[in-house]
Amino acid sequence: MSHDTPANRSLFSGKPLRILIGFVLVMNGMFPALWILFTSLKTETELTLKPITWLPHAPTIANYLRAFTDQPLLLFLFNSFMVALLSTALTLFVSVLAAYALARLHIRGRDLILSAIIAVSTFPLVTLLVPLFEIMRALNLLNTWIALILPYTVLSLPVCTLILVSFFEGIPRDLENSAMIDGCTRLGALFKVVVPLAAPGVFTAGILAFVNSWDEFLLALSFNSNPMLRTLPVGITLYQGEFAFPWPVISAALVVGIVPVAVLIVIFQERVVSGLTSGGIKG
Amino acid sequence: MATASETTLVTPRNESGTKWWTRFLDPSERTLALLLLLPAALLLALIIVYPVCRLVWTSFQNLSLTSGAPAAFAGLENYALMLDDPVFWETTWNTVLITLITVPGALLVGLALALMANLPFKRKWPVRLSLLIPWALPLSFAGLIFAWFFHSEYGVVNDVLGRLGFEGVIWFNSARWAFAAICLTIIWKTSSFMALIILAGLQTIPRSLYEAAEVDGAGRLRQFFEITLPLLKASIVVALIFRTITALQTFDIPFTMTRGGPGTSTATLAMYIHQNTVDFLDLGYGSALAVVMFALSMGVTAVYLRMIRAKG
Amino acid sequence: MMSKKTMKLLLAGAALTLTASAAMAQTNLRVFVSSQHRPDVWRKAFDMYEAKNPNVKVTIETGGNTSEAQAQYLNTVMTAKDSSLDVMILDVIRPAQYAAAGWTVPFNDVLGADADSYMKRYLPAYAEANTVDGKVVALPAFADAMFLYYRKDLLEKHGIQPPQTWDELAVAAKKVTESEKDPNLQGLSFQGKAIEGAVCTFLLPYWSMGRQLVSNGKLSFDKEAAVKSLKLWKDFVDQGVAKKNIAEVATDDTRKEFQAGNVLFAVNWSYAWGQFQGAESAVKDKVGVVKLPAVQGGQPASCLGGWEWGVSAYSNNKTEAQKFVQYLSSPETSEFMAINAALLPQFPDVYTDADVTKAVPWFANARPVVETAKARPVTPRYNEVSDIIRTTVNAVLAGQSTPEDGATQMEGRLRRVLR
Repeated sequence: MSHDTPANRSLFSGKPLRILIGFVLVMNGMFPALWILFTSLKTETELTLKPITWLPHAPTIANYLRAFTDQPLLLFLFNSFMVALLSTALTLFVSVLAAYALARLHIRGRDLILSAIIAVSTFPLVTLLVPLFEIMRALNLLNTWIALILPYTVLSLPVCTLILVSFFEGIPRDLENSAMIDGCTRLGALFKVVVPLAAPGVFTAGILAFVNSWDEFLLALSFNSNPMLRTLPVGITLYQGEFAFPWPVISAALVVGIVPVAVLIVIFQERVVSGLTSGGIKG
Repeated sequence: MATASETTLVTPRNESGTKWWTRFLDPSERTLALLLLLPAALLLALIIVYPVCRLVWTSFQNLSLTSGAPAAFAGLENYALMLDDPVFWETTWNTVLITLITVPGALLVGLALALMANLPFKRKWPVRLSLLIPWALPLSFAGLIFAWFFHSEYGVVNDVLGRLGFEGVIWFNSARWAFAAICLTIIWKTSSFMALIILAGLQTIPRSLYEAAEVDGAGRLRQFFEITLPLLKASIVVALIFRTITALQTFDIPFTMTRGGPGTSTATLAMYIHQNTVDFLDLGYGSALAVVMFALSMGVTAVYLRMIRAKG
Repeated sequence: MMSKKTMKLLLAGAALTLTASAAMAQTNLRVFVSSQHRPDVWRKAFDMYEAKNPNVKVTIETGGNTSEAQAQYLNTVMTAKDSSLDVMILDVIRPAQYAAAGWTVPFNDVLGADADSYMKRYLPAYAEANTVDGKVVALPAFADAMFLYYRKDLLEKHGIQPPQTWDELAVAAKKVTESEKDPNLQGLSFQGKAIEGAVCTFLLPYWSMGRQLVSNGKLSFDKEAAVKSLKLWKDFVDQGVAKKNIAEVATDDTRKEFQAGNVLFAVNWSYAWGQFQGAESAVKDKVGVVKLPAVQGGQPASCLGGWEWGVSAYSNNKTEAQKFVQYLSSPETSEFMAINAALLPQFPDVYTDADVTKAVPWFANARPVVETAKARPVTPRYNEVSDIIRTTVNAVLAGQSTPEDGATQMEGRLRRVLR
């Protein structure tokens, strides 16, 4: 990112301006998260001061303690984590197989399948709320992790397949062929040669699938209404109740919810960017 | 792309004498392809294909779980009801309006962010991170955070307005301001993704083009409109159509910010589907609403596919 | 080494023990309790039942903090035909819905021919709310109603009597706020946010004009009365009696603002009293409570609240569960909950019980209010009815539509639902 490509020279230049622009960019991205962090460190009394304070006067972690005791926040985290992890694993497994078939094997109607995959990636899952609800009900899956894992897998399947197809196509066939001549089956070659070589792609796809699942709200809200099975995005809305809208506590819970994904992003930022721009799609 | 000659380099190893299970582990290419695609196909069949059929079928039924009565065929009744349901029209209009405002809005902001991010910064990670954080933040979190931003008494937005000498606004007490707050939030949340896509495009534009333009005496603005924008067109169009489809599905942000209020003035079609399904348990009517939304977004998807094909 | 025979004997013995213990097995009852109604105190009531019935074990389940969120949770459990819940507490508006959907088991088989006299012991409104087509579909857990809270100190200071009509209230509010010159003091706080409370907001003046929303299952919408009702509230906002962003105010906002000393009159449920008189309250001992005002020339009306115990149709322990609910809905439990959790009794006699009047003296004034409180419309499609009313009230208060337009829209939408 931000190489000195000519395109930018066309509009901006000058160092002070550049620093200002950098500041604007960082504020645009970080300010909401920062503000929530500040809010989470304020006491309820400080919060109702007028005019409002920006930096917390007497930072307190009391809100974090309440965030974990008012609602089972650890459980929400655990549910979100397990659902995201399991659906990512399933997505990767299914999409590696499909992507390999599409990238390496002769299939009639390959273009048609690819188009169908792109169409699925734009599919409005909300329209399937009723039938999915009925299917989950018929299979006795309401209020289980599986009720979320299956649709989440489908949610990320197209993106991951597209990313993996392009990665597999970039791997020289010779490596695979020589493995097969050495006595590997095609499936053996896939998992012993192709997948390790495409590891960056698999990884990128995995992060996208994980973030997709981690963020999902509507299905989690509708299928798992048992508080013990709530995922984080839905769980956080539970802090507001008939008796209050405790902003500092909600902020603390939000911070706790943002941290895992932020860590993921900080560590793997280049991966994520390459995944997003190579066919990873999420609005 | 695979060619025939390449793949036949692999000698088929189904010589006589191999055991049946080896054949199973190393089947013919066509069988293998089918086997590999099977899990994906099964999942799609369970989560997409069958539900879509079921959805269309249910939309022709009278099925309300609160009535205790079994489903009964109702023909087009649900659709007829929809036509004179003011809330259906209002939520559909709100959805279209959100799309018309936030898609170009996110494009403009995204373009600006991308041009800014493309400057030769010494440290790249803070810029990259500040584009990734809004993308990775769950929509529902964004809704909650901005609801707090726009809080009429303790929100930072009114505080800043006050410091600048303007009178604060009771954002969620008026349809127009609540709508504006929701659109601003959606634009903030989605523009960074636009910026990332555009940035990737920007970095592929060769320097020589600008140098040539400078020799010709073209100013910076002209360079932008005559070189940068046309070359970015392809990636922008794809990102735009994709954003349009997701905008039509808007749910999380208005749901967490306003719950559709005041009245139903900020409710979207997706929220109305959710309400009819989950709160009212009127599955027949909810399905009919969903079919309409399905048709809407599939229409846009068709355009999308055509664009991708044209792009190659 | 054991011989085969001994082995067999041992096995048989083990099997016998197993069956024997199965016969003695405990019944596990899972009970859904709303988290805002003191599950800690209910737990004590459950413990007392467990002590008397050693073969029954009761576990509590909670979910969601608002009546709406709880309804959503129970909706999922019930539509999934999930047997994990045996007993559930239901907002007074829901027993009719649940009965129509076939989600609860009627009590008639257990009560037998005594059903009528059994139900007569309760306040009439609760007997009615829990009886659908002659079937007892749930038993009352506790009562509730809306009250008018006022600042006793301020009214005395200005020599004003608690208002009998809404017009008197507006005059009193203006007089007090104008002479107090406290910019933070609001004349009246009520619920304008699109929550269940806003349904009551609309119905209070509407009922006071003697109108009904639903009669005999049919919509009996009086548009003129509806316009007047919406206009009454909107005028409070326009005249500065209520604050400008009243459309953002939920039940507990009203409670908090009154408790902070910023409100002269407040419309709220019974739970607010305990909080106003609590240690953290700025208005402790300065609070009065009376029945809600009437419209000019009308009868005062309150909104009936309260919650009911239902037994799930998908429960595997229906008989035990019904026995348990009869205990929960008994005068003894009612008295226990009144004293320990300040929940209003569903039995008229418990209000005058010596222990109760000692613990919560104001309950004596509450009884006439509860007795005259009206129930919200009884219909299986109540969720839709409620949504229509509350979004309209919210839109009118936010200035989104005029009272006339609001009433027209309300009527049109209600006709579609109650066709």
